[in-house]
Amino acid sequence: MRLFGIETEYGITREDLADVDPVVESMELVRAHLTASFERRWDYAGEDPHEDARGFRVSGLAQDREEDDFAKLDAHRPFSFHEMKSDLVLPNGARFYNDHTHPEYSTPECRTLKDIVAHDRAGEYIVRRAAERRNRTLGGTHVQLYKNNTDFHGHSYGCHDNYLVSRAVPFPRMVSGLLPFLVSRQVIAGSGKVGIEAQESGFTPGRFQLSQRADFMETELSVDTMHNRPILNTRDEPHADPKKFRRLHLIIGDANMCEYATALKIGTTRLVLELIERDAAPLLELEQPVAAVKQLSRDIDLKAMVRRKNGQGISVLDIQDQYYQAAVRILAGTDQESDWILKEWGETLRLLRQDRGCLVGKLDWVTKLWLLETFMQEERVGWDDPWLTSLDLEYHNLDPKRGLYLGLEAEGNAWRMTTEADVERALSAGPSDTRGGLRGLCIRRFPDQIKTMQWQRIQFSGGVRPLTLEMGDLFDPSAVARCMDVFNAAESPMDALNEWKRRKDGQS
Amino acid sequence: MRYSSMPERREGPVNPMPKSPGPSEEGGGPRKPESGSPEKDNLLKRMRKVDPKQAERYRQRTGE
Repeated sequence: MRLFGIETEYGITREDLADVDPVVESMELVRAHLTASFERRWDYAGEDPHEDARGFRVSGLAQDREEDDFAKLDAHRPFSFHEMKSDLVLPNGARFYNDHTHPEYSTPECRTLKDIVAHDRAGEYIVRRAAERRNRTLGGTHVQLYKNNTDFHGHSYGCHDNYLVSRAVPFPRMVSGLLPFLVSRQVIAGSGKVGIEAQESGFTPGRFQLSQRADFMETELSVDTMHNRPILNTRDEPHADPKKFRRLHLIIGDANMCEYATALKIGTTRLVLELIERDAAPLLELEQPVAAVKQLSRDIDLKAMVRRKNGQGISVLDIQDQYYQAAVRILAGTDQESDWILKEWGETLRLLRQDRGCLVGKLDWVTKLWLLETFMQEERVGWDDPWLTSLDLEYHNLDPKRGLYLGLEAEGNAWRMTTEADVERALSAGPSDTRGGLRGLCIRRFPDQIKTMQWQRIQFSGGVRPLTLEMGDLFDPSAVARCMDVFNAAESPMDALNEWKRRKDGQS
Repeated sequence: MRYSSMPERREGPVNPMPKSPGPSEEGGGPRKPESGSPEKDNLLKRMRKVDPKQAERYRQRTGE
């Protein structure tokens, strides 16, 4: 079973200020998580967003100029780059920091749907608790956080899902297998949006669509993530042994409030990747995938037909159905989790055709649409009323006293995939079968002896030579368990590294 | 399709979501909503409290 993880950039605002400084607010929010003094520990040496999975390196990104402009502005601030980033690695193996003026929570690497959903929820709890602490300092509920993807003025921010895949799979096969699936995935994983907008321009109210991100997709493939956004991001930054692995970095997804939608988003994508690896994905080449993303998002009756390259039309549900049928044929019986995904995927597609009211509390766009239509009927307002846009925003508010989704959940009308105990466990430790759990263990056991961290490496301080735990190829669950045993038992990182090396040498 | 009333009580899937190995053994699986006839008034009350101009004021910088 493969690894996956979710990165979520949260929207943040201060309701007591007319002019909000997002750099300061995001930085202060992350720092509010800490009770002790702030300490940076992230090693940026492993990050290079200019490498392209198509086999070349770009000299610059579309966002570089804007980033440079912001860097000039930010240079006048009394903070260093690292202070502004405020990088934290948490005891559960997650990363929490300020990315592009948004508090970002990246889950630890997970291997099961149950873990990824619990860690995604744990992220919500962590940012919410940071906001509560910050608000206590400010003396009011001024800071508000939103798990969404747009400000309704053309500024979007992401929720990226990531998957470890074998580099042996040719990238063109990955592209042809994934594009139609990603174009149509919004029917399950879309969070719904009032209105239509475009990159940093305009907002037209008066229409409900499936997805928050569809309006911001501008090309099929690109290494960019902030401008010229692609359906399939080609950034080649594996955070693992680059000879063996890729990290599929999907930026098209919406942030989900519904746990069920999160599970199906990650689960169905995992199955499609299994199909692609077996060269068994359906061949459904679309004539204009970028136009199709928008067209399908804007048709809440799910009747729109998009053209395939063979000249035939196909609907969003028929695209999904072709992937579902292929997955049933090839993957049924593979393992318990795959069977669960297949059952829920098939049932969801059936309900979308026949009785989607049953999906309230399961899929975000269906839930939001139902809430808004209930409100419109009661208040006798139309889709062009700005109140509806504000209600859309408030659906995603993480304040349990205000958020519309959280209100629905508190009343017992949302489907839960986790218990509160699951989420509490995810707050304190990472998955025991991935390097995310090992990362968290090192944070808990040796907090003062860690010099830097990144996804695939931990560097410890204290020795004459670098003391480094390499995790770029540490994916076998039994190997992870053995390494965790070693770090649990050792007196010091040096003892642990020596013992781990001894055991690995003994095996080879 | 349009929704004009709160959803009725729904049945959960027959097969629960598989449990993950390791310490997270209990729990898991989608759990159907607990309330039989959801209280619509509380949600409407919450929605009516939302400032209609809230989204107009909400501004973010572009992220990834």
